[in-house]
Order: sequence, then C-alpha cells, then structure tokens
Amino acid sequence: MERSRLIREMEGIVGAEGVVHEHEQLRTYECDGLMNYRVIPDLVVLPETGAHVQKVVKLCYDEGIPFVARGSGTGLSGGALPVESGVLIVLSRMRKILEVDIPNQRIVVEPGVVNMWVSQEVADKGYYYAPDPASQIVSSIGGNLAENSGGVHCLKYGFTTNHVMGAEVVLPDGSVTHIGGGKAPDAPGYDLLGAFVGSEGTLGIATRITLRLSRVPEAVHTLLAGFEDAEGAGGAVSGIIGEGIIPAAIEMMDRLTMEAVEEAVHPGLPDAGAVLVIELDGPEAEVEEQFGRVLEICEDNEATEIRVAEDDAERALFWKARKAAFGAMGRISNDYYVQDGVIPRTELPAVLARISELAGEYGLRVANVFHAGDGNLHPLVLYDNDTEGEAERAEKLAGEIVFTCLEHGGSLTGEHGIGEDKKKYMPKMFTDDDMNVMQLLRCAFDPHQIANPGKIFPTPRLCGERPGPFHMHPLQKAGIVEQF
Amino acid sequence: MTERNGRGEAGDDRYRATDATERRSDEGTAREDAMAGAIGAGSPEDVGQSTFAATTDSLQHTMGEDRPESGSYAFPAFDDHHPPEKAHIDECVHCGFCLPTCPTYVLFGEEMDSPRGRIYLMNKGLDEEPMNDEMVRHWDLCLGCMACVTACPSGVQYDKLIESTRQQVERRYERRADDKAFREMIFQFFPYPNRLRAVAAPMRLYQRFGVGDKLRRAGIMQRIPARMRAMEALLPDLPKEEQIPDLTGPVGEKRRRVGVLTGCVQRVFFSPVNAATVRVLAAEGCEVVAPKQGCCGALSTHAGREEESLDFARQTIETFEDLNLDNVVVNAAGCGSTMKEYGYLLRDDPEYAERAKAFSAKVRDVSEFLQELGPVAQRNPLPVTAAYHDACHLAHAQGVRQQPRQTLKQIPGMDVKEIREAEICCGSAGIYNMVEPEPAAELGERKANNILKTGAQMIVTSNPGCMLQIQASLKKMGQGGLPMAHPVEVLDASLRGEPVETLLDK
Amino acid sequence: MQTEKELTEDLQRIVGTDNVSEATEKDAVEGVEPDFVVEPGSVEEISAVMKLAAREGLAVAPRGGGTKMHIGDPPRRLDLIVSTARMIEVLEHTPGDQIVRVEAGVKLEDLQENVSDSDQMLAIDPPESGATIGGIVAANSSGPRRYRYGTVRDLIIGITVVLHDGTVAKAGGKVVKNVAGYDLSKLFTGSLGTLGVIATANFRLHPRPGAARTVAVEVAEPQQAQAAAQAIVHSQVEATAVELHYGETEKQLTVLLESIPGGIDAKTEMASFLLKEFGEVRTLSNEESDRLGPLTPPEVADEVVLKIGAPPVDLAAVLESALGAAERKGLGHPRIMGHAGTGVTFVGFPEENEDGAAGFVEEMREIWVRRGGSVTLQRAPLTLKQRVSTWDNGGDYLGLVRRVKEKFDPRGGMNPGRFLGGN
Repeated sequence: MERSRLIREMEGIVGAEGVVHEHEQLRTYECDGLMNYRVIPDLVVLPETGAHVQKVVKLCYDEGIPFVARGSGTGLSGGALPVESGVLIVLSRMRKILEVDIPNQRIVVEPGVVNMWVSQEVADKGYYYAPDPASQIVSSIGGNLAENSGGVHCLKYGFTTNHVMGAEVVLPDGSVTHIGGGKAPDAPGYDLLGAFVGSEGTLGIATRITLRLSRVPEAVHTLLAGFEDAEGAGGAVSGIIGEGIIPAAIEMMDRLTMEAVEEAVHPGLPDAGAVLVIELDGPEAEVEEQFGRVLEICEDNEATEIRVAEDDAERALFWKARKAAFGAMGRISNDYYVQDGVIPRTELPAVLARISELAGEYGLRVANVFHAGDGNLHPLVLYDNDTEGEAERAEKLAGEIVFTCLEHGGSLTGEHGIGEDKKKYMPKMFTDDDMNVMQLLRCAFDPHQIANPGKIFPTPRLCGERPGPFHMHPLQKAGIVEQF
Repeated sequence: MTERNGRGEAGDDRYRATDATERRSDEGTAREDAMAGAIGAGSPEDVGQSTFAATTDSLQHTMGEDRPESGSYAFPAFDDHHPPEKAHIDECVHCGFCLPTCPTYVLFGEEMDSPRGRIYLMNKGLDEEPMNDEMVRHWDLCLGCMACVTACPSGVQYDKLIESTRQQVERRYERRADDKAFREMIFQFFPYPNRLRAVAAPMRLYQRFGVGDKLRRAGIMQRIPARMRAMEALLPDLPKEEQIPDLTGPVGEKRRRVGVLTGCVQRVFFSPVNAATVRVLAAEGCEVVAPKQGCCGALSTHAGREEESLDFARQTIETFEDLNLDNVVVNAAGCGSTMKEYGYLLRDDPEYAERAKAFSAKVRDVSEFLQELGPVAQRNPLPVTAAYHDACHLAHAQGVRQQPRQTLKQIPGMDVKEIREAEICCGSAGIYNMVEPEPAAELGERKANNILKTGAQMIVTSNPGCMLQIQASLKKMGQGGLPMAHPVEVLDASLRGEPVETLLDK
Repeated sequence: MQTEKELTEDLQRIVGTDNVSEATEKDAVEGVEPDFVVEPGSVEEISAVMKLAAREGLAVAPRGGGTKMHIGDPPRRLDLIVSTARMIEVLEHTPGDQIVRVEAGVKLEDLQENVSDSDQMLAIDPPESGATIGGIVAANSSGPRRYRYGTVRDLIIGITVVLHDGTVAKAGGKVVKNVAGYDLSKLFTGSLGTLGVIATANFRLHPRPGAARTVAVEVAEPQQAQAAAQAIVHSQVEATAVELHYGETEKQLTVLLESIPGGIDAKTEMASFLLKEFGEVRTLSNEESDRLGPLTPPEVADEVVLKIGAPPVDLAAVLESALGAAERKGLGHPRIMGHAGTGVTFVGFPEENEDGAAGFVEEMREIWVRRGGSVTLQRAPLTLKQRVSTWDNGGDYLGLVRRVKEKFDPRGGMNPGRFLGGN
C-alpha cells in the first residue's frame, strides 16, 4: 500500500495525533535502550485503546506490513528495534489501570502502564507488584511481559512470568484472544500465556494484562557487606544458600563498579574488593533469626565491613547504590557495553577469573554487577568510542564473555532477552532442531511472520502453507531462506 | 455477562479505568473562559478535547524557515556559536529514565517530547538534519523544568543543552509573524516592572468591573486567541504595593550584609513577599540592602534570547557588585537559578567573566540562606497544614529541596504536607504558560488536583511564576480561594507573632 | 504398512528385545487398547521409536507411572505406548545451584530422596504415589504446596522433548533465570502428551524447611471457610498451604506452616490468632496432619471427581453451588476438598448415578465457566466422559490451541483426541 494512503488509514483508526510520519520524528524512534542498532520505521502509530491496536494490526496483516511493538523503549537487546518498511506500534499511551481486585490479589492494566505505578497504586492497601527490574521507574508492563523481566528479587519471588495471570492478546492476524485464565487458576489447555511471556513481541501484542499482587512482607532487613575479593563474597553467598536461607535479594558489585557508584551516588561504600547487598523479608521472627545467621556467615567469610540498614532511608540508599550502577558507569568511562549472561552460581569464581583474563587480553576494563542469588551476571565492558577500534573490541569482548557463560553451563541471557543483539549467538546455545521446534510455536501464532520479524532467531524461516496460490517468497527464491 | 468471550474478567465495567499517570477521576478538562487582554494578534483556534491533539494542532505556532544570523554554518542545524555540545549529548546512554518525569512525555506519550527524544533531535541537528519546524516545535514544547536532570543516572547536563539549543532557535529560526509578535510583547513587558505595573492597573479595573463576563456573554470571548486568554487568566488581583527601604538594619548582632533581588513579577504582584523577605533577614541578624535594580534576565535566558539575557546579567552584576555584600539573596526560584549561572553565561566576556563567577558564588535562595545561617529569631506557633510545592528552578535546577521544608518545620505547629507527583512541573516554566497554554493548563490542573488532595489549608511555594500558575488553575476549578504564600511570608508571620488568619486570609 | 511382526522387530532393534511387549487390556487408555508397549532407555531411542511411529502412522501415548492415563477424553485411536520405565536416571543435582536434572521416568519419591541429603526438595506435592516426573509435568500435577511455591510451570527450568516425527529439541537450561528463546518448558507443562514425549526435565529446588506445623479450624459453613481462607491469604504469615476439607461431618480448613525452627512458633501463633474468630482452632499432631494433609488424594476409586478452578474469593459460592447442585441431582453430600488459598476445588461423589452426574457437571459448568473459571473431569467413567467430555471447552483460545497442536503434531499422532477441543 502506498505510504500516504497507509497514513490516512492509520489516522482513520487512531486519529491524526496518533500517527507520526515526519522524518525527524521517526528518527527519535529508530532505537530503544540499545543504541548500537538503528532502523528508521516507516511509520509510528500510538494507539490509545485495545480496539485501536486490533484494527492497526489487522490493517498490517491485510497489507502484509510487518510491525514491531514498543513500550517505553528501554530494552537492552534491541527488541523494539523497528523493522525496515514496517510500522512501529507504540503502547505508551495505553496506560490505564483498569481494575484493582485486592480480594483476589490481582490487578488489570494496559500495556503502557509503568512497572512502578502498579506498586504505587496498591501500596496503601499493603500490596505490591514483585518483579522489580532496575528500569522499573520507566519500563512498561507490556515490555516486562515481552522480555520476562527480572529484577533483584528474582530468587525468592520469581520473574514476570510467575506474576502474570492472564492477558488479552491481539494476534498477528488481527484477532483477539484471551490466554491464561486471568482470574481463576489452572485454565485448561496449553500454557499459552507461559509461552507468550518472554516471546519478545514475536507472537502478538498484549492489550490487557492481569498481574498478581503480593502482600508486603511483615519485616525487611537489609545489609551491605564488604569483602576482600569476589571469592570471599561468593563464599558468603554459598554459605547462606547452603544454610537453606533464601534471601529476598542478594547482589554483588566489584571494586570498579563501586568506584563509579561512589562517584555518582556517594553512599559511602566500604573500601573492598567486592560488596554484597543482602535483603531478607518475611514474618518478623523468621527474618530476625535468619538475618542473625546471615551476619554470622558474612563474618565467617571474613567480611571486612558489615553495615545493617537502620531505617527505610538507609535501606533505600543501599539499593540506590546498586540500582544506579549502570548509569554510574558514565562517571568512570565514556562508553560502556552492558552484557547480560547467566551462570550457575557455583561457577562464579571461575567465570569471574576468566572475565578478568579476557579483559586483560582485550585491553579493556570490565566492571561486574551480579545477581548473586540467581546467577545473572552483568559485566559492563568499559570503552571509549572515540578511540579507534575500541567499540569493536568491546563488542567482541562482550561476546566472549557470553560464550564463557555458556561454557560454564549458563545461558545467553538472564533478563535482557535475545532481541536483535544476541540472535547471532543463538546457534551456540541451541541446535537447529531446537530452534526449528521453537519456530513451530511462532508459526502457530504468526504464520505470516509479521510480528517483530527478524528478532530472536538468526535466520528467517517461513511457515509453510499460505492461503491462496503458492508464491515463492523472494528470500526463498534467492536461496536465503528455507520453506519450513 | 452473557458472552463467552474467553476466561476474561467478568464485570470489568464495575471499575472505572483510571489513567495511571494521573490517578484522579476521569473528569473532563472544562476550559473556563479567561478574561482577555487588550492586545491581540491572529492565532489559531483552541485545540480539541484530546490531550494528544495539542501536538499536531499547536504545530501551527511554530512555523518558519531556516535562517542564519550570526556565526556560520558549522552543523546542519546549528551555527558555531554555542551549539549544543557533543560531549554533553554523548553522555546520554538512551536509558529512558528521564521519560516518566518529563511533563510533556507524561502528557503526550511521544518520544519526541521527552528529554531523550529532544537530545536525539539535537544530535541529529549536529550530524545530519537541518533545523526545521518539527525539531523546533519539540524543543519549544520543553518546559525547561529540568526534572530530567534530577532523574538522569548518567549526569547528562540537559539544562545546558536546551539552553544552547534555544539560543540557536531564536537566532536562526524565523518564527511565524504572530508567534514572533506575541513573544516580543511578552519581553516588552515582563522584564520591566514599571511597564508591567502600568498594564496591570487597567487590568485591575477590567477585573473589578467584570468586563470579561460581559465579553463572554456577548460571545466575543471565543474569538480571542487562546494565548491571550491564558495570559490574562494568569494575572492575579493587583495588591497595593508594599515599599521596601533601601537599607534595613539587623535586629541584634549583625551576622551578614546581604542584598536582595526584588524581581519583576514579584515586585509588581507579590511585593508583600519582598517586604517579608527583608523583615525576616533583618530578624535573623542581616543588614539588608535593596538597591534600585532591574531584571535579572531569567525569562530571557530560559527563552534563549542570548543578547538580551547577557545585558540583563551584566546590569544585575553591576547593581550589586560594589555594595560590599556577603551574599545576594533571592526569593524567586527562577531568578535565583539564573543568577547562579551568570558565571557560565558570561564565560565568553573577558570583562565580566571573573566578576560573574564571583557574583554567582554569592547568590543564595532565601530558604537556602536561612538554613545556612542557622535560625536565631524566636519562632511563634502557627498551627496550620501547608502543602509545600517544589518550584522546578529551586528543586531541580538548584537542588534546594530540604531547606524550604526545614524553614517551615522549624515553626511550631506547622504541618507540612507533601504533594504527590511533586517532581512534575506545574506548567508555569517561565513564559511557557503563555506561549503553550494547552499543555500548561493540563499540567496546572494536574498540580492543582494533587495539591487539593493533600487537604492542606494553604499552599507554600518559592516562585512567583508557580504562584500565578497554580492560582489560575485553582480558580478555573472553582477553588481560587485557597491561600498561597512564600515560605518567607510564613516565617515572617511566625516571627511577628501573627495569628494563622493572617496567612489564610490572603 | 508393516506387519505386526515386522513392526515388533523394528522396535526391538531400537530398544532391545526385552523392552518391547504386546499390550494387554490393562494398558488400555480409557477403553482404547494399543498394540505395543515399548520402553526406550535414552533420548536417542525415544527419537528412533517416534520416527518409526511417524513413518507407520501410529498413534502414540507416553506413559510414566500410569497414574494419569485416566485423565482426558478417550483417544480416537492408540497403537503404541512409549513408557519411560527405563528412563530413571538422575542426570545432575547441584545443591549449590539448587537445581536438578532428571530423566522423565524418575519417580517423584526417588527424586525427593535423592536431593534430600542436601536438605533440598522439589516443591511439588501431588497426591498420587508412583507418579513420574514426565507425567507430573505433562499433567501439571500439583498439591497443597502450590500455594507457596507455585506449580510445575513455576519450578521447571528446562526440558528435552521428542516430537512425533522423532525431532529432539531442548529449551531452557539448568539455570533458574533464563530468557533465551521461547519457554517451551511451560508450553509442554500440562500438555498431556499431545505435543510430544517429555524425555528429560530440569527443575529449581528449594531448601527443605526445618520445622512444620499444621493448624486447623473447624468451619461450620461455606462463608466461614472462605473468610478463614481469605484471612490467611491476605495476611503476612506466609503460609505454605491452605487446604479445605468439606465433608458431610468433617469441615475443616487446615493451614500448613513451615519455617526455621526458631520461627515456627511465632508463625503458628499468628496463624492461630487469625483463624480463631472463625471457629475452634487446633494445632494438629503429626498423625492427624498426615491423615488430613497433603497426601490425601482428591480422587477416590468409584467416584466421579470434578476439578473446579475459580477465583479464590468465590470459595463460598463454589461450595454452595456444588452442595446445591449435588442435592438437586440426587447425589447426596459430595466429598469436597480443595486448595482454598488458590481457588482449586475438587468435588467427588459416587459414580453410579450417571444422569445425576451429567446434570451436575453441566450445571457447574453453566455457572463457573461463565465466571471465568473452569470445570474439568478429574476422574470419571468412560460413559460419562463420552456424554459431557472431560473439558468444558470454554474460552476463546481454542483456535490457538488447535494451531499449536497442528504445528507440533501435524499428523495427529500424539494422544489424539484426549485434550480439549478434541486435540
């Protein structure tokens, strides 16, 4: 369809104020939180209701136009990177909280609602929404769903997928379906919702999402402990887990990270090789006793300094120190590349040693932030874009680190997703058969492959039968793609 | 529910959807007719009800062509005289943490009207794209509230970026005739207290005799441009002007010798604030000098009118620098913030650079100053609940948040309430509420609602612009009676042992 | 098309002569008797068997402990049972990482024993004994502990499956946090063997609690049961299980509390305090809680058992509707038990009165599917299933279910007809 006609049709659905088509304006949407990849979308559409989304998608489907959904655009794997000649559907104006159902401990929201707002909405009733990615003040629930976002409280409380109860989804063919039950448990059938969460926008767009609310715990205790090196800190972590204690959160930062954080936030971090922020929550008596044990374990592992948060303000400061880590990197380096990898916790010392080795080989610094509870590692590769070749070296080093994670039994990504950035690494973790079977799911939802095409999987694969006379896809003709 | 449309939620219509960003009930924004000013120029009609329509419809305001006036073409969109700095732009890592705190992103939900998007446009202007209507539009829509600076984890100095960008726009972009005329008119009046007073006096008569109502009933109101109506609605009842002496001696031992800025809008519409400032400073042991003075140039600085702002800056420095002052105390947040910047603004001027730096180092906001000095005078009780509103140029630009609150809390009996969404601008933003009335009205209403929700008996804030804006918004909602005061007025009442009514009857 | 003899030989070549047997009537699945039962010993063997099955157009049903073969509608056809009886290896247990990897034929009891020496457990407690991991995953079996720990889908972190055509695929991994690729582990959970054979599965483990106690309150009627359950659910006590036993004479809500030894008293006290306004509260002895507790099967022989999923806050309404409908259909007082904290209720009554049973099912579906819940036959005689179907087929996602099935099993060889929508 000719562009000006498409614009008119879209305006007919969402109104003139809902379509962005001027060149400079389109450019502001050419990337999400990852600036390494940029594609200017053909058109940006901002629906305000589920009905808008449905009609927009239907139009795309009828015209064979690929689309990409975007929330707040803070993703770190390029999941919301627009597709060439495609439409970018931005959900930031769908930000209503639709229903608050405290008795059933659930809340229904639109996809553009920001993560933090959910907890704020129910705070006065003694509830909160548990998944708390570091981007929670800006990332949207829809985006959290697409990436199965985590946060620092994952070990005890799980991730987004454990807190979504149902969703209304606009499928890539423009039809609407409701998956997951939403109100009642154990909806019969396949766990379509479980497959949908974390599918990075390739299976459809969620337009109403039912989230599980959690009761605020009775007591919370937080401490900050400095250790001489990562091994000592790791030992403390193992000791705590080995004791059968599941902390609400247990985070580790290395010396380089602490330097940056100290400059940015001035929390007064101890002078140490590694620091742990540990939080326990739950019923008071239980937490107090466990906390006592945690203190002992830290001491047993030769913590050089232990600080217990006396009040909410101090607790907030400890967490600010941790959550500001990425942003703070700007203080000690011109540029940095955030990597996201997962390893079995027990492999941490070996992996950190290897990262250190690699950093030396590449002549770059790497700061490490680690979700010690669940093995999710965020190495921050520091470099200077203006120095010739450093950007490329940084990217390669980041790749090597991810391979190291795989070699030690881990995964390509713990919470940022594959998106555009890591699809080239997928064959290192999955065989062709593995990926082909995953594609079966995609074909069931999106036979025409118009939902966020080109993400997650390295080579595009077609989906078999198409209605009507068979047309050989140009990519197929060129031998680039297989019929699948 | 008769349809089996899936295991969806039954009876969703039980609950009314609330816009999560607003957290208030879904009442429409009734736009009351404002009283019009006398001067008019052609301007487009009011926009429709949809919040988001403001973006396309008000595109009309900014149209023009690219036009170099000074410097030479160094970049596609900018000349080489103080373009937005690449180093500052590069600090942005595109994380998006600024989005939820940016008022225009909160209103419009579009990337282009967020700090991240605006920086992106500046970057494109440096690298690839010439200046055009859209880019200017989105920069114009920025309030300059600097909430993004507070939120940014990477420390991007967006304030410097938008300042240099605005200067470029003013210099190189031909605004539409009516837009240009309106802006010129503002700057012919607001930085000149005498002219402002002259215009305000007939305004008072106009208000008293209800000319506006008559115009409304006659159906003429609709035809008067939105900007005019907005500006008019902002101007409050004109009080009798309280004079302040050139020199006021300290009560008791002299601790400091300070100068005070009397301001422009402050002097004309809120002279009691100036009088209270002088009394309070004297009571805390200061010798207070109030020289004859002009405008500090804040409005011009924030609007990117470079030459004008530098002239005002030089004048202000000259006014105060030879008076042997320890500090220059400012009771208007917008002014204080610019005066602290003089060192940076005049960095290119060899004659003034050092003097400006020295001057800026002495500037203090009055609450900041009082806390620095430490209270000595006896505070009498004032049992009242007050909602404290953070002016953007005090909280975000100067980082002064605790001191006004402390000043209030040091008064026995005061209950200081926090306002929800405190970090989001009220919509005043310099001349913003006059040149962009629609988004300003939305923000004003939002702020007014949040204030009303605190249940406080009065509002306290440190900026005359905010006072005007919030007052106008409350009036539109039929709550125009809520008393407002500057922290220093509250302290003044306490020091003088005045009853609470003094404040509540304002 | 091969002869039976040729088929037997081919199968024997793959899995070994001893591991192929002719099926008997006790291998029948809901009245449909297959021809063969094979017991492959590895993923590769399963794959080879499935390739053969696909080539010969055989319909296949996977089987572990056989504890769930009665779930679902009768298969349209059945030729081969693939048993995981030989897939009994615990592949990996890393206590430091709190994960375990097992082959699908490992019995849950054996897994628990295996990991218990590091004081860990897999936090799933379905009532059937002898169930294998493969079956538990395929049926999404759960027990009372789901209240605190979630169900299989919240604990499974990786899976290896074999599709009908022999394709072997894995998803997930052995780390708890993992978003690489699609979450096929969840897709296969509860799929009842209709998408493929589950060959191995990986789980996250939890520490075994040091101390446990059960508190019970007598409730006189449905409203009290609901109020008591809600009191616990909305509190900060962090109970492990909230269970309801609502029989003709015995009506109790039991709350399982677990903690470290130093914390169990305070928890018990808090729970007791919350419950006491609803009735008499007792802390149960070990024998009592064993009798009433997690291992009480929701299913009893010769009973029709329904599983009702409803919003937790509607517990009283579920009970009342069940009691009312049972009386109207002449079924007497049903045996009711449920996970009151999560909204899952099991209703059982004798199977003799089939008309009554059918009427009961229809009435319950009429009410609860409309309200966003589900009513599934957990256990029922064949004739009843043929009348009312295991599944209520509510929801607008059936089309999607069908499309997924068609993609994974285009020839319809995996448990055809047992799942909802006739899939």
